[in-house]
Amino acid sequence: MVSTAPPLVQGRRSSLQGRSRRGASRGRWREVTANQLFLVPIGIVFLWLFVIPLGQTFYYSFTDFTGYSTDVAWVGGSNYAKIFNDSSMLAGLAFTLLFAVGTTVIITAFAIPLAVILNRRFIGRNFVRSVFFFPAIPSIAILGLVWGYILSPLGSGVLNSVLDALFSVGPFPWLSDSTLARISVIVVAVWAGTGWHAVLYLAYLQSIPADYYEVATIDGASARQRFQYITLPLLTPAIVISQFLLMTGGLKVYDLPFTLTSGGPGYATYTLTQAIITSGVAQGRYGLASALAVLFTIAVAVLVLAQLGLSRLLERRIS
Amino acid sequence: MRARPLIAAAAVLATAALGLAGCSGETDDRTALSFFSWDNEETMAPIIAAFEEENPDVRIEFSNAPPVAEYISTLQTRILSGTAADVFVIAAENKTNLIEGQYVLDLTDEPFMENAAEFNTRTYSADGRAYGLSLASWGSGILYNEDLLAEVGADSPPQTWDEFLALCADLQAAGIAPYLQSVTQMTTTISAFIGAQDAAMDNTLDAGIFDGTSSFAETWTEPLTEYNRLWTEGLVTTDVVGLTGEQVRDEFINGRVAMIDAGPWDLNPIREAAPDLQMSMVPVPALPGSEPFLSGAASPGYAINSASENLDEAKAFLAFLGRADIVEMYNTATAAITTTSDFEPVIDPALAPIVEAVRAGQVYLPQIAWTRNEDILNTEAVAQLQLMVQGQVTPEQVAQALDQKLADSDG
Repeated sequence: MVSTAPPLVQGRRSSLQGRSRRGASRGRWREVTANQLFLVPIGIVFLWLFVIPLGQTFYYSFTDFTGYSTDVAWVGGSNYAKIFNDSSMLAGLAFTLLFAVGTTVIITAFAIPLAVILNRRFIGRNFVRSVFFFPAIPSIAILGLVWGYILSPLGSGVLNSVLDALFSVGPFPWLSDSTLARISVIVVAVWAGTGWHAVLYLAYLQSIPADYYEVATIDGASARQRFQYITLPLLTPAIVISQFLLMTGGLKVYDLPFTLTSGGPGYATYTLTQAIITSGVAQGRYGLASALAVLFTIAVAVLVLAQLGLSRLLERRIS
Repeated sequence: MRARPLIAAAAVLATAALGLAGCSGETDDRTALSFFSWDNEETMAPIIAAFEEENPDVRIEFSNAPPVAEYISTLQTRILSGTAADVFVIAAENKTNLIEGQYVLDLTDEPFMENAAEFNTRTYSADGRAYGLSLASWGSGILYNEDLLAEVGADSPPQTWDEFLALCADLQAAGIAPYLQSVTQMTTTISAFIGAQDAAMDNTLDAGIFDGTSSFAETWTEPLTEYNRLWTEGLVTTDVVGLTGEQVRDEFINGRVAMIDAGPWDLNPIREAAPDLQMSMVPVPALPGSEPFLSGAASPGYAINSASENLDEAKAFLAFLGRADIVEMYNTATAAITTTSDFEPVIDPALAPIVEAVRAGQVYLPQIAWTRNEDILNTEAVAQLQLMVQGQVTPEQVAQALDQKLADSDG
């Protein structure tokens, strides 16, 4: 540990090292500052378009704001009280939760096996992948209008005509019976979303080394075992992302139920987002709509955080 | 050396900016009068061109949004931000907010209001003062296929509701679907029933509900019960709660149903798709103690922004819009049933049985007649009607739900 360098040189080195450290420190500071500067525009946009409107929404939720004048009166928590006493709002909450959970579970159940199949080699594989991905391309509102004609409850409806021609059954009240309407909305959402999420899983599947499967096969693992012990654990990050997207998308759903059923029959397919828009824009009750939006934001945050926590726990256990 | 590209880029930008400035630098000394409509540009362009030709000192800045929700929300945003147009459309859905907020000019004493129909002016009035120039009205009733009705020996739908239900039964027995309507909005039948009752009460029905001397339960239960016979007697499919107006119209076009609820806007698409179809529209048959009636309302009016800096030009524009030759242009472009006193509109012959009543203002729409919480009550009414059609609630419960909704909204 004895230094071989002469004292002078050592002193100079020490001085150089000090300068170098200060230089490095300044460099790091500059780098950090530069990085922070890049964040400034994003921060301004975030503040302007998210934080301020969120604060305004919170404020207006305690007022009688109609959307026509900012001269508003403070009404305390009455908007919040109205929400919990309004059967349509509660119906909207119930269907929104059903839709979010239902589509998340069903799409995941279909998308993973579909991705596994699409990952195999077969003739026309790219074409089949495109076919499954296609429903994700058009606007969901357009899909809703098209499916409205397909699921017309009349005998002349597209699906009812086909069922009658093939099996002499029906017509079925796809969109005019409360239960069938709920199921129809969820089924169309599953049809539209499965291919997209399968492609997400496919991207992760392609990153799994083939060696794993080869070794497992040599060791005598069955197809089920290979899926259970290799594919599924390595797909966990994809499952977390997919379910996060599905759950958040499901909770804020508006366009599909609105174009398919307008929220009916009754309030069977009414959603929270539709309730916010209807109360705010059509009914001029922005105060009430703001209260609903605040509660909705809190509920989504809680649900998503719970889901993320659960997913991470699952991820740790599997890995 | 490094500065050169920057200087070059700045020079290019400066040249481009100057060029653009030059392009837009044409002097236009005309007064810009902004006009926000829910009619589309195709309808309004010839009218605007005619106005600009007659008024070379004024240039119309036209913008539009489709009715109803998108128009309402766009106008609302512009009013709140102080950028609303000089002239805009006042609709039943926003008239209360616009009038109470004093965003629209009092037009009561303007000479151009004289030709407007009394019913139209009353629709856009408050406390005896008029705030919108409405030039047309619409009415919807029962559109029937003359050939299908002839198969069971009927010339037209009967005058009374009992006879109408009997006709539906005859059509059904002959293997013809008798009647369809869309129950995704306030139905023509219910509107007409309540309208007829209101007319028999000298237009006091809604005043009673809203001042607390009457209620929905008291006035709506019987009409709802009669209406519900369409389903309790098995004459109409419950699928109507899942059908749009377009789907109902398609059934009519293809001859799969004898009668539908329809408005003037259905005529052109039917004529285009089925030119040989013989049809006619009549008012909804009457319940005991009332007359056949139509669902309908005054069309949106033209209002002047009270904060406009171009009041003279705006008034000139409204006077122009209400002139007989311009109303004729509008009637030609839209086939609307115009209601001004100095012009007789040209209307599709199928609407002949309803035109006189519509022009006389013998039409009714609950959500316009209601004096407050219109959209809240309308949303609730449609949902409750759907539940009633499905057999999940009774007519009494529908009416009680509306009373409850009104009480909750007021509270």
